[in-house]
Amino acid sequence: MPDERAPDELDEYLRGDSALSRQYRRENSPLPPHALDRALLEAAHATTLRSKSPFKSQSLAPLAFAASVFLSLAMVLALVFGPQAKRPDDKPRVVQVRMFKSEPPRAAPASPRERNPTAWLGYIESLRRSGRDHEAELEMRRFRSAYPDYIIAHNE
Amino acid sequence: MDVQDNDAGLMLRYRDGDAAAFAALYAHYKAPLYRYLLRHVRNACAAADLFQEVWSHLIATRARYEPRAKFATFLFHIAHNCAIDFFRRDANLRRAMSVNESDGLLLEPEVPEHQRPDRVAEFAEQESALLAAVAALPQEQREAFLLREETGLSVEEIARVTDVPVETAKSRLRYAVRKLKHSLRPMQEHDPLPLRTYA
Repeated sequence: MPDERAPDELDEYLRGDSALSRQYRRENSPLPPHALDRALLEAAHATTLRSKSPFKSQSLAPLAFAASVFLSLAMVLALVFGPQAKRPDDKPRVVQVRMFKSEPPRAAPASPRERNPTAWLGYIESLRRSGRDHEAELEMRRFRSAYPDYIIAHNE
Repeated sequence: MDVQDNDAGLMLRYRDGDAAAFAALYAHYKAPLYRYLLRHVRNACAAADLFQEVWSHLIATRARYEPRAKFATFLFHIAHNCAIDFFRRDANLRRAMSVNESDGLLLEPEVPEHQRPDRVAEFAEQESALLAAVAALPQEQREAFLLREETGLSVEEIARVTDVPVETAKSRLRYAVRKLKHSLRPMQEHDPLPLRTYA
């Protein structure tokens, strides 16, 4: 709502040398409390000290962002293409574990007779002669287990 | 940005960690900013609080500073917003008190903080006839006049600070100037000397 009746009043004032401005500038000039001065200057100084620390958050921000992107990408790639990744053609695998490298341990001869192969074979033969074939067969298995390399003569 | 605005350069230096640049800015603007706030809100305690609020805001947001306008425009725009918040809080307080009073609970008189008799008396002790006339202006006209006097901002810059069209700012300033002249004229006719002089 500009007032058309006094167009020059504002222009005169805006030139900066009006009586009104001169009078205003002669007024007293109150100042803020000194405590405020100190507090604000210290606060401003403190913020600059924080920003001068070796770990400037502003300058590290792009680096931190790049590092997080890189790590995220690496994790995704590792999950998709890594050695632990599950392939579609994978099937359950049965793993056979061999308890013994070559042959099972041999049965150790228990009695003095069994420590003597000839005597043990003689005992087996006596069992056969007496018709105790089943016992003779069991003893022969034990003999073979104890002396697998022993060559039995036909007369034994 | 006005390339001649050295204050914007100081603010850029402060943004980049130069505390001495802030000290220079503070020394330059503390008096006009404090006067603007004091004569705008007309309450010394509120003015001190707002003064601290304005500078604290500037310190807290310094990293984001970009010189898009004259530094004075930037600083007083912060001050304008802080003052607006103050007046809004003050109005809400008065409204709340009014509600309590209607409920039969008379807590405080329904008077703005800055118009309470004790506050007015405290402020009136320090003010001349001109400052009393300034204080009597409507809020928007008072702000336009204070911005012009304390910062030397143009009408366009005052419009930017107060977030209004240029014509609105010009109208407010025109009315303020006319009212002040009218209010001072009878006194000047009797006493052409300055009302007060300070060393």
